[in-house]
Amino acid sequence: MSEPAPRPRHRGQVMVAVGVAMLATLILIMILGPSIAPYSPSATSPNSLDGPTAAHWLGTDSIGRDLLSRLIVGGRGTLTITFVAVALALTAGLILGLTSGYIGGKVDLIIMRLLDVVFAFPVFLLAIAVVAALGPTVKNLILTIAIVYTPAMARVVRAPVLSIKRWDHVEAARSVGVGEFAIALRHVLPMAISPILVQTSLILANTIFTVTALSFLGLGPPPPDPNWGSMLAEARQFMELAPLTVIGPAVAIVFASLTFIVLANGLREMLDVGSR
Amino acid sequence: MLRMILVRLALTVPILLGVSIVAFGLMRALPGDFVLAAAGTNTVSQEVIDTTRRQLGLDRPIWEQYGIWLQNALSGDLGTSFATKKPVVSELLPRLAVTAELTLMAGLTALAFGATTGLASARLRGRTDWAVRGLNSLLLAVPNFVIATLIVLLFGLYFPTIGIFNYVPFAKDPLGNIVSLLLPAISLALTVSVTVSENTRAAVLEVSSQDYVMVARAKGLLARTILGNYLVRNALTPVITVTGLQLAALLGGSILIETIFTIPGMGQYLFDSVTRRDYPVIQGIVLVSSTIVLLMNVLVDIAYARVDARVSYE
Amino acid sequence: MLEVRDLTATFNREGTPSQVVNRIAFDIAPGEAVGFVGESGSGKSVTARAVMRLAPEGSSIAWGGRILFKGQDLLALDERQMRDVRGRRIAMVFQDPMASLNPVMTVGQQIDDMLMRHMGLSQGAARKRTIELLAQVGIRDPEIRADDYPHQFSGGMRQRVLIAIAVSCQPDLLIADEPTTALDVTVQAQILRLLMRLRKEIGMALMLITHDFGVIAGMVERVYVMHRGDIVESGQVDALFADPKHDYTKALLAAVPRIETARRSA
Repeated sequence: MSEPAPRPRHRGQVMVAVGVAMLATLILIMILGPSIAPYSPSATSPNSLDGPTAAHWLGTDSIGRDLLSRLIVGGRGTLTITFVAVALALTAGLILGLTSGYIGGKVDLIIMRLLDVVFAFPVFLLAIAVVAALGPTVKNLILTIAIVYTPAMARVVRAPVLSIKRWDHVEAARSVGVGEFAIALRHVLPMAISPILVQTSLILANTIFTVTALSFLGLGPPPPDPNWGSMLAEARQFMELAPLTVIGPAVAIVFASLTFIVLANGLREMLDVGSR
Repeated sequence: MLRMILVRLALTVPILLGVSIVAFGLMRALPGDFVLAAAGTNTVSQEVIDTTRRQLGLDRPIWEQYGIWLQNALSGDLGTSFATKKPVVSELLPRLAVTAELTLMAGLTALAFGATTGLASARLRGRTDWAVRGLNSLLLAVPNFVIATLIVLLFGLYFPTIGIFNYVPFAKDPLGNIVSLLLPAISLALTVSVTVSENTRAAVLEVSSQDYVMVARAKGLLARTILGNYLVRNALTPVITVTGLQLAALLGGSILIETIFTIPGMGQYLFDSVTRRDYPVIQGIVLVSSTIVLLMNVLVDIAYARVDARVSYE
Repeated sequence: MLEVRDLTATFNREGTPSQVVNRIAFDIAPGEAVGFVGESGSGKSVTARAVMRLAPEGSSIAWGGRILFKGQDLLALDERQMRDVRGRRIAMVFQDPMASLNPVMTVGQQIDDMLMRHMGLSQGAARKRTIELLAQVGIRDPEIRADDYPHQFSGGMRQRVLIAIAVSCQPDLLIADEPTTALDVTVQAQILRLLMRLRKEIGMALMLITHDFGVIAGMVERVYVMHRGDIVESGQVDALFADPKHDYTKALLAAVPRIETARRSA
């Protein structure tokens, strides 16, 4: 009737391997950054708005800066904001989700209702409002993104904790006198790690979107630092003169989000996490 | 049923209250900026600052300010725009209508496209399933503003004669209006269609394994009857629900799409207001769209519960 | 009427085939009632579905051998021809009435669509016949109940509806796969009596699949006992009850202490 499909677990491993390779590429570019860029990202040249040439593989921008170099260095900025923001959201989500799920009762109710309020805002709208209020600096951008993704993170941590805390091994640990804090951290949290990993990966992809979208709207890190979002916005502005300059930032943004989506899908199948 | 609706609405009230506090607090937390923005300049005399403060009621205690603001908001007064000095509500409403139309079109597009690919993926399995899931991963990875930019590039450069980027007001030319929103709606819909597609796939697979589908086959019914009356009709309810819950994503995305395609909707209004630091407008938009999303979620819940009475066994 | 020879059924799970029915042979005469008894996993349900050529959704299954129905090999028919056999010539009643009706269609619609498909009836004529059928299976106020949704029916009522669907086109053979397993004991007896009555009224053959010898008693003339994909014993029902030859049959009979009471109530 249907051709045999590869087993999900195996398919998941392949996807995770691909995702990890893509992630390694991103991180390598992020670390090496300026040292592998062919030019300085701020060095101007008289050849402005050139298409791809042998000297400038991706072309040049409106004041003759090399787009490939700006893309490489800009990746560092975009990815740093992404990773730091998600790390913050993850930490906050872990603390809130674990506290809420493990202690339960009134504490759970209060924390979850408070997070519901943040959850009620459309993420991107809230991000714009917060950045608008705080001002578009790297620090504020990180803070904003951490805030808007904390509720999602906390929910993902809380759900499995609610059931795991009733498992036998938790009771066993308690009976031999392990402290509640240690139980939560060592006996409950490790069991909940699979869905957290998948969700973190998905949120990383979403964050790439939010960071680049904010920069695209001019609410990203202030110039002259290059950034994928603002590069795309600029390329769009001069589209009629140099249409191909759109390609670089567009591909970079897609590659980065794809990395985390492939990772998330692969992890989901490999670790056998329900899709929702 | 009525009780369920009331309970569901009652649960929303504290969240709405929290939302209003955040929307209010966000803009008042600014150190001094609010007054400067209201006065419309960065260098003003202390005298002007003081008058502005009094005019805006900023000299009162913060909770009193919130009370007044909330009371006004409930009676349909969201304050006055700093930039245009006109009531925010009167500027927001026509733009909200435009965004509503765009969002609706995008939602329907996402539903049509996502349901089709999801159904194909679940029914045909094998290669089709692989292709659809690959396409979905890719679509999910291409942010809507990148899609929109590429569409603008493609059509603007290579088919400039079509001239679809000029927004046409509905009142002026209904058909032209819909045509002018077509490409923006598609760019907005693609990401959301992935969610619809994945949920359709899951729902169809779930329904396919139900006994009543086996019974339908044992009845010797035609394949198209089974597909339409047994599979799709049962899978559609959760799919429409999920699409309804994507409203927040669509509203968020509309900010980018409207800016790129220069559509005079709420998103573009927000973007302009952010650049102009027109805080009452930002506040108003945040409050209004969050309320809409919350109410929409309640609506979806209620609608689902209604259908569910029929769907659930026992 | 039905002659099955060398029937095999092979599931293909992730590339590894596993045979669940091993070259079995059996016959069913016109109007005859035949029982198939065995535990779950014995291959009796797969055998029943093989006659209908119904594979579980999403699995791949291969059938071998011959299933001669009135001299025609069903395994040689194409899917379109097979659809004309299903429901029209051979119909089936399934185990779980709670899950076997489409929740978003009214009960009447689910009988109408069968009649319109096979009997070429118009919407109106089909509904008239549907109401007769509902009355025939013992649903009160059939005109009103036809417009109700399945969730408004109890389990026993739903099984009656499913039986009405199955007999609507007056098939030559009705396959009943554990038709009473999911029902209360009191309702079980009613459903079995209904099946018996309809078999006589329509003059159709009955293939009754069950794990419970108690259900077989008083219902069928002949029995096939299935175990791990093989028919291990067969014969007249009374002879088999009196003197089981195979150890497995003895074990199955021993597992039914309420056989006498069940026989009486059936």
